[in-house]
Amino acid sequence: MPIQNPNPNKKKKKHSNQDDDEDDTVQGKQQTQFEFCKVCRLNHNQGRRHIYFPNHKKALSSFLYRFQSKFKNDVAFYLKKPMPLRPEHAALNRLWCVFCDFDILEYDSSFACGNAIAHLASAEHLKGLKSFLWKYGGGMDRMDSFRISESDFTKWEKKCKLLKSEAAGGGSHGSLIGPLNDIHNESKSEYVNSFDKNKLDCLTSDVKCSNSVVPLQDHTIERSQISHSKICTVGPQILHAGTGVGLGARTPNGLPGFFGNQHYTHSVPKEGPAYSCPNDGKQVYPYEGIAIGDGHSQGTSSEESRLQSLQNLTQISSSAQENGGGNVHSGAPPPWFSAAEKIQLDNKLNQGLGDLVSSLGEQMKTSKLNPKRVGAAWAERRKIELELEKRGELVRHDFGADWLPNFGRVWQSGSRKDSRKEFLGENKTWRKVDSQIEKPSQLQPYISKRMRTENTAE
Amino acid sequence: MNYLLTTLTKKQEVDSMIRDTIDKVLVLCFGRASDSIFLQLDEILYKSVREVSKFATVALVDIDSDDVQVYIKYFDITLIPSTVFFFNAHHMKMDCGSADHTKWVGTFLRKQDFVDVVEAIYRGAMKGKLIVTCPLPPDRIPKFQLLYKDV
Repeated sequence: MPIQNPNPNKKKKKHSNQDDDEDDTVQGKQQTQFEFCKVCRLNHNQGRRHIYFPNHKKALSSFLYRFQSKFKNDVAFYLKKPMPLRPEHAALNRLWCVFCDFDILEYDSSFACGNAIAHLASAEHLKGLKSFLWKYGGGMDRMDSFRISESDFTKWEKKCKLLKSEAAGGGSHGSLIGPLNDIHNESKSEYVNSFDKNKLDCLTSDVKCSNSVVPLQDHTIERSQISHSKICTVGPQILHAGTGVGLGARTPNGLPGFFGNQHYTHSVPKEGPAYSCPNDGKQVYPYEGIAIGDGHSQGTSSEESRLQSLQNLTQISSSAQENGGGNVHSGAPPPWFSAAEKIQLDNKLNQGLGDLVSSLGEQMKTSKLNPKRVGAAWAERRKIELELEKRGELVRHDFGADWLPNFGRVWQSGSRKDSRKEFLGENKTWRKVDSQIEKPSQLQPYISKRMRTENTAE
Repeated sequence: MNYLLTTLTKKQEVDSMIRDTIDKVLVLCFGRASDSIFLQLDEILYKSVREVSKFATVALVDIDSDDVQVYIKYFDITLIPSTVFFFNAHHMKMDCGSADHTKWVGTFLRKQDFVDVVEAIYRGAMKGKLIVTCPLPPDRIPKFQLLYKDV
């Protein structure tokens, strides 16, 4: 058992020395025996390191959150307002204390969550809590959120006593529990009832905002299909194809056979489009019929009449569908896909796949070359040039006799461009020197000054 | 001369060689055919040219030809045989512990040494480095004295 920390507020090092799985601290590598982490539900041999792993931290937070929610919703509620516990409801009120690994049953308590509260306030629970937090690294500052302080407990006990005394006096409080436990049922029934009410309200109201999203208030496709199977004799039903019908707006090019048969003149509340809005396809969907049907059964709330009206309409639609030759559900291609196109598309697909494979191969090759390599840009340019030359488009142009490669000279300090310039400069001087040497120097005989002066004097 | 590799005698040949070797190391050895060390170098090169052929090309340059003198001056070749390395028309330097990093002076003791050197150059070039360190231990590297401007 690990050592208990008497001071919960002190952040202490997790390396305790009385752990069963002693760590071999050999150069930081810890090899321990396997232990089970209750939080992650994982066997690990990481020893004390495990609690700092992010996965463990996540698991721990969700773990504690779950317990905390139970604690808050149930136990804390009853802590503030103690209520007597009926035996039949005892089964609902059990609590598993995760820290102590202990299931708290309420069979013999007189108050709701009585045993749980008692346990959570007890010293044993505190002990278990501390050891859990130490072992799984929950943070010792959160301890109070998982237990009941003694002051709270005493308050609760007093309230209980009061209740007991009152109960002994009169049984008026017995009825309190009734609504408590029927909350779920009541709420459900409320929901169900309100569902229909909402539907009716919408139906009767004049809904002009046809494009607004209206919650699904009627049958889903499945149900409608079931209803469609019942066939009734119907004349062509009428829909108002004006601005209200998003359907009309959405399907410009006409469905294969459907709209041809229909005239839209019936002004109907427009929640129909709300269902057909998701229908972008050109296929006729059954629930269009429903929508229309809803409008048609204006004011009627009974399901049967609705169904009948649905059936009236859907008969047509189903016949239209049969003419169409299959739909999405049967897996047929959409009508804009003519057979010929389909073949073409298949071919293209196959080609595309082949191309993909080959291009992938090429890509693999070219992508291997590091773009940062020396002279990469130059190489790319040169490759293009060579290809063009191969094709004969680009006439090979000589670089000239003076081209020099990029070279860093031996006794040169500075960039390589400088080296080339330097060299060219040196070259020029060389050439100049050469040319000067090569100039023929006219040799003249030596004439002495006396001779010259004599000549000039003469 | 059959026992030599492709020998270049003209500047234009050298230029085309440099320009056309793309994404491969170009090994240019400057020397004289009559030089024994150069022949030794050529022997080693000949044996290894096929092995490095995927990432290197080898060529010899005869320094006695007039056309190439420009290059001899440009590359500051004073001692032969000298080997200069190029990659994508860029000159690659190698630090062998000697004074001159721009070229390799002398021959290689073993075929494997040559392959190692070329590999080092290639790896550095692919990473974008213009100068690489020599992978050989100092005892394998031929020593020479570099004279500064014929001093």
